[in-house]
Amino acid sequence: MADLVLDIKDLVVHYETEDADVHAVNGISFQLGKKTTLGLVGETGAGKTTTALSILNLVPNPPGKIKSGSIVLDGVDVLKLSQEELEKVRGNDVAMIFQDPMTALNPVMTVGEQIAESVELHEKVSKQEAMERAKEMLRLVGIAENRAYDYPHQFSGGMKQRVVIAIALACNPKLLIADEPTTALDVTIQAQVLELMKNLIREYDMSMILITHDLGVVAEICDDVAVVYAGRIVEIGTADDIFNHTHHPYTEGLFDSLPNLKERGEELQPIKGLMPDPSNLPPGCSFAPRCPYATDACSKKVPELRPVGGTSSSKHMVACDAYDDPKFCLRRNKDGK
Amino acid sequence: MAKKANTVSTNNDVIKSRSQFQEVFHRLLKNKGAVIGMIFLLVLVIIALISPLAFDYETQVIGQNMADRLQGPSAAHWFGTDEYGRDLFARIMWGSRYSLIIGFGAVTIGLVVGTILGAIAGFKGGIWDQLIMRFIDIFYSIPNIMIAVVIVSVLGTSTVNLVIALSFSAATGFCRVVRAAVMTVRDQEYVESSYAMGLPTWKIIAKHILPNCLSPIIVQYTLQVGTTIISASSLSFLGIGVPAPAPEWGALLSGGRSRMRDASYLCVLPGLAILFTVLALNLLGDGLRDALDPKLKK
Repeated sequence: MADLVLDIKDLVVHYETEDADVHAVNGISFQLGKKTTLGLVGETGAGKTTTALSILNLVPNPPGKIKSGSIVLDGVDVLKLSQEELEKVRGNDVAMIFQDPMTALNPVMTVGEQIAESVELHEKVSKQEAMERAKEMLRLVGIAENRAYDYPHQFSGGMKQRVVIAIALACNPKLLIADEPTTALDVTIQAQVLELMKNLIREYDMSMILITHDLGVVAEICDDVAVVYAGRIVEIGTADDIFNHTHHPYTEGLFDSLPNLKERGEELQPIKGLMPDPSNLPPGCSFAPRCPYATDACSKKVPELRPVGGTSSSKHMVACDAYDDPKFCLRRNKDGK
Repeated sequence: MAKKANTVSTNNDVIKSRSQFQEVFHRLLKNKGAVIGMIFLLVLVIIALISPLAFDYETQVIGQNMADRLQGPSAAHWFGTDEYGRDLFARIMWGSRYSLIIGFGAVTIGLVVGTILGAIAGFKGGIWDQLIMRFIDIFYSIPNIMIAVVIVSVLGTSTVNLVIALSFSAATGFCRVVRAAVMTVRDQEYVESSYAMGLPTWKIIAKHILPNCLSPIIVQYTLQVGTTIISASSLSFLGIGVPAPAPEWGALLSGGRSRMRDASYLCVLPGLAILFTVLALNLLGDGLRDALDPKLKK
C-alpha cells in the first residue's frame, strides 16, 4: 500500500439533468503506483474524463454528482476534503493537462504569468521568484526563456501544449492527469510532446494517468492500461497484458478497428453498433448488445473483474463472464498463437 | 505580421511583446472616426478642467448682468449672452463639466453594479441567473427616462440624484452584456484548468473570466456614456435634472427655447455641444468595437 499514489474504489458518478439521469461512471476501481503511467482507454463518452475530474473533485456540479466511492490520493480521501483543502491539493499534488492547448491558455495573460500563477499560489515565493521558476519551466519544456513575456496567440499549437505541460509541472505534482494531451496536435508534434512528457515524468518521479482513445499513444508511454466501457473498467492490466494477451471482447474490437500494418489490404472491422446511451444502460454487461460472443446470460448480470491468470501478469483482470467456461477464447488469441 | 516576427526572434534581451490591448490600440489609431472622437473628447476633458480657471462661476457663469442681455455672438461674448446677460460661451464650457461628470459618473456606477450582478448571473447560472435577470428585465421594460423621472422625483432634484437615477439604466445594460460574456468565457478550458490548478473561485473570476470579457464592456461603456449624456440633458430640459441656475447643456437648451426666433444661437450652440460630444463618443465606441473584434468588420 505504501507505494500507491492513487486508490480509487467503486467510484460512481451520475449527471442528473432534468430529463435524464446519466450514468457516466458506474463503479470504477483502480490503483496507481508511484512512478507508473496508467492509460485510460475508451470511446468518447465512456466516462474517462469524468473519472479524471473526480480525482480533483472537479465534476461540474450541478449536474454532476459523485454518488459513492472513495478516491484516496496519497493517503487522503479527496472526496472528504473541504473546498480550501481541495484548492491546496489541486495543482500542487495533482495537476491536469487538458485536451485542447488552443483554448487552455488565457489569451490576456503572458505565458510566464500563467506558469508563475500556479507557483505563487502553492509555494510561498515572491513574484520575481515565481517568474524565475516559470522561465526555468519553459526552458525545461524546450521553449526559450525570453518568450515568457509573450502572449498565447504568439505560440503554435505544439508550443502551447508545452506551455500547458510547464504549468502542470511547475509545482512538482505527484500525479499528472493528461486528458487526451495530443488529440488536438498533428502527428509529428504529437510524437514530440509525448516524448517530452515521457522524459519529464521519469525525471520528476511522477505518476501519470493518460486519458486517450489512441492505442498507439498508450503503447508508447503507458505501463498499465485500463479499458473503460460505459463507465466501467472492462479490462485492466499491464500494457503487455492488454496488447498481447487481450481478453475482453471489447478490447479485441478496439484492436480490430485499427488498420493493420502487416495486412494492408484488409478492411477495417469496426465494432458494430454504438455505445449505449449512458442514461439508459442495458442490464447486465453493457457491451453485450454489441458483443459477438454474447449469450443470454450476459444480459442478466453485470460481470465482475476477475483475474486472468495464465501467461498474463498478476495485474491482468477482465470483466467478462464468458470466461466461466474454461475453454472460452477470443478469436484474436485463437489464430494469433 | 513581419513586425511581430521580429520582436519574437531576436536575441536574449527581455522583450516586452505587444499585448492584446496594445494591438487593439494600434488598430484603433487606424480608424479615422475613432481618432477624431478621441481627440474631441480629450479637448472636452481639457475644457472641463480649465473652465474654472477661465471663468468665475459666481460672477461670470451664473451672475446676472441685465445690461448685456441677449447680445449676439461678438468679440466680447463669443457665443453671445442669454436673457439674463450671462455669457453663453462660459456657460457651455462650464456645462461640459456637468455633462462629463454625470455621463461618466452614472455609467461608472452602472458599470460596477452591472458587472457584479452580470458576473454572478452568468457565472452561477440557475436560480441566481433567473432572479437577477428577471429583476433586470423589469427595469429594462420601463423607458430609461421614466425610471429617472421617478427616482429624481422621489429623491429630489440634485446632480447627485440625477447620477443615481441614470446609473440604474446604465447598470441594466452592463448586466446583460457582462452576463452574456461571462457565460461564453466560463466554459473555456483555461477556466477549467485554473480550477484544476487550485485557484479560488473569486480569483478565477477576477483574473481569468472578467479580463476576457473586457471588449464588450469597454464598447458598452463608451456608447452608454453618450446615451446617458443625452438622458441627462433631456431631464434637465424637462426641469428635473440639474437644478437652475447651473449651466447644464439641456438646461441651456430649455432656457433658450422661448427665444428661439430672435436668438436662435441660444438653442443651437448648446445643442451642437451635446451633438458633437455624443457623436464623438459613438465614433469612439464604434471604432473600439471594430478594433476589439476585427473579425466582425471583415
